[in-house]
Amino acid sequence: MGAESTPSRAVLIVDDDRALRHALSALLTAAGHHIESVGDGPEALALLHNHPFDIVLLDIGLPSMSGLDVLARLSDLATPPRVIMMTADDTSESVLEAVRRQAYRYIHKPFPPNTIVDVVNEAIAPAAALSFEVVSARPEWLEFVAPCTIEMAERIHSFVMHLEAKLPEDIREALAQAFRELLMNAVEWGGKLDPTRKVRIACVRTKRMLLYRIADPGEGFDIDGLRHAAISNPEHDPIRHLVVREEKGLRPGGFGLAMTRSLVDELIYNEARNEVIFVKYLE
Amino acid sequence: MAARFTINEVQVGDVTILRLGGRLELEEGDLVFRDYVNRLVGEGRLKILLDLKGVSRIDSAGIGMLVSKYLSTQKSGGNIKLLHLTRRSDHLMDITRLATVFEIFDDEADAVRSFAGTT
Repeated sequence: MGAESTPSRAVLIVDDDRALRHALSALLTAAGHHIESVGDGPEALALLHNHPFDIVLLDIGLPSMSGLDVLARLSDLATPPRVIMMTADDTSESVLEAVRRQAYRYIHKPFPPNTIVDVVNEAIAPAAALSFEVVSARPEWLEFVAPCTIEMAERIHSFVMHLEAKLPEDIREALAQAFRELLMNAVEWGGKLDPTRKVRIACVRTKRMLLYRIADPGEGFDIDGLRHAAISNPEHDPIRHLVVREEKGLRPGGFGLAMTRSLVDELIYNEARNEVIFVKYLE
Repeated sequence: MAARFTINEVQVGDVTILRLGGRLELEEGDLVFRDYVNRLVGEGRLKILLDLKGVSRIDSAGIGMLVSKYLSTQKSGGNIKLLHLTRRSDHLMDITRLATVFEIFDDEADAVRSFAGTT
């Protein structure tokens, strides 16, 4: 796992914090990448118009021009780089603008040093070339249509959880876990990890609740046929389904629905069971 | 974003302690963990203690792999026990009722001693 096997890429760091630029440059150079760094937006745009970069690490709070404005202008480039937004600012407006502009990731400062190397390595992988469609990017209603891949599910999960950053930690953790389990179910079982198939994801926020809806492109499932899932286990045998999974040649797992049911307040499937809604009440 | 999955191995007598770190999730740490435990069992190192203190995220695939390796190690005459569950892992063990399956410890010395006299 790590940088040794990752191909070298050109990375531009844009941040007005000189010490951070230096630290990130050292980390990414050690990981085998070619690094340039600048301290403001106009300088970054000038450089990007003259030299191709694979990845841009872009701070939002730049002095003369916001990182979000820089991001907006990058789509004009012949080959736009993948952009990782870095900020201490988790306002929903910033996250939503980054989503609208197809930033690759949005990471919160401060971050553990190796995190940035991992994110850059993810961003240069071929799977990172896929994009999602933003149907709605309002704080009250965020909706995506996205290819059915694990990498895309990770990206969507990361964006959505940044929007929930101000929730109490226990609620946020429960939401993050439930959302991830159901989203992974949707792309893996409903979408068969086929990037040409799409999953539709909506996150609706009101004062009193958060509602998430995930619609996958599969045919759904029969709840009585879920002997390979933990929800079918008898009370006294919480791992019986693993025997069924082994017989069917399925990977170990099957705890997702059982976990999700305990983490949220409402969990409702449509009749075909290829769409699911879950709700977490805030009061 | 949570850090990538890591395993650090420590040997205490005949007990192998694996200190897990980062994400134990679908296509993240689950396969690395599987292969690591398979290798230990293949080498006849059958007393395995998993220190989960550094695990930042675990999902149903990660939990499934823990149970799968627990079962396969038992089949080979060994055992896997858990140490230092985080608050989040502890909660997941409760809601999946796996706290009734695994032996779980808060103290490393107690956990190592618990293997004494077993195969």
